[in-house]
Amino acid sequence: MITEKKSDRKVTILFGKVRRAILTVLFGRTEEAFYLRQIVRTTGFGLGPVQRELKQLTESGIIWRAVRGRQVYFQANLDSPIFPELKSLIVKTAGIGDTLRAGLASIADYIKIALIYGSIARGEEGLRSDIDLLVVGDIGFADVVVNLQAAQKILGREVNPTVYSLDEFRAKMRANHHFLTSVLKGPKIYLVGDENELRRLAAKRLARRA
Amino acid sequence: MSLGDWLRNGWLVEHETSLQETIELLRIADRDLKECRTVGLSEDWRLAIAYNSALQSATAALSAEGYRATRDGHHHRIIQSLAHTIGADAGTIARLDGFRKKRNISDYERSGAVSDQEAKEILILARSLRKRVGDWLKKNHPELLHE
Repeated sequence: MITEKKSDRKVTILFGKVRRAILTVLFGRTEEAFYLRQIVRTTGFGLGPVQRELKQLTESGIIWRAVRGRQVYFQANLDSPIFPELKSLIVKTAGIGDTLRAGLASIADYIKIALIYGSIARGEEGLRSDIDLLVVGDIGFADVVVNLQAAQKILGREVNPTVYSLDEFRAKMRANHHFLTSVLKGPKIYLVGDENELRRLAAKRLARRA
Repeated sequence: MSLGDWLRNGWLVEHETSLQETIELLRIADRDLKECRTVGLSEDWRLAIAYNSALQSATAALSAEGYRATRDGHHHRIIQSLAHTIGADAGTIARLDGFRKKRNISDYERSGAVSDQEAKEILILARSLRKRVGDWLKKNHPELLHE
């Protein structure tokens, strides 16, 4: 019998790092085919380990391999008997980012930065961990919550957003607000905006201070 | 599902309210609308106090209908009951429920993870809920507001 504690271990236990990264790319966008160099670049792992994993995954029938001209492509095998289960597993674990991005899509124009922090960003989540979200923009907490309702259902996880207006974000950064600085120091997964955008907001803060 | 179904599910118990009880609940709701604006309070306290105001308003409406929520998940239930009492829409309930979760987190996990923006939003929501419950009571249960 699986005990409560074991079932709540971090999900990385299911796959090795490289395999998990590859499955996240291929099962995150199952309608797309990726060539080897793309996969290497996106996952950030070396060519050797990525090739080894791709070979095993292809042989098992979980993904398929196609040659077009000089390029070799890989794609999730939609005909695999375990495709739906695997896809759902990836979405609920590693595919969190894509699911939340889709949820935020209709309000993304009002958002400067949206990022995941906490246990999920650190890759230390249990199967029940909440998703901690930081949002900066011209948008209310309630709008973010309402737009992420569907994503919460798909993921089977609670999303906990903290929403700042631009002015409040800058003021709190100026004041070295404890929560904000500790979040920004830790690992992050960007959903809207990126490190550059964040730096730009921080730079404005410095310009004001000067 | 109706509140009667909720009763059969064990989510509610029957409860006979009174003029005094309703007035007391609304008095606390009003007090908290005021106190959450106390100068110098942190954002998480402001949110918790305004949320409490909203909860008292919702409780007043539910008890006017003759029920109170049982212990398990009773905040959640009281918020959901607004659909059956004052006829609150799904959006309002989802928003209020979002603040309920937020308040739980700020209690024991991450104080400081509440923004000024959020504290302002729940105040607006709690204030509008207090008004709606007051109007609804006047129309549907006037005996609970006047001697």
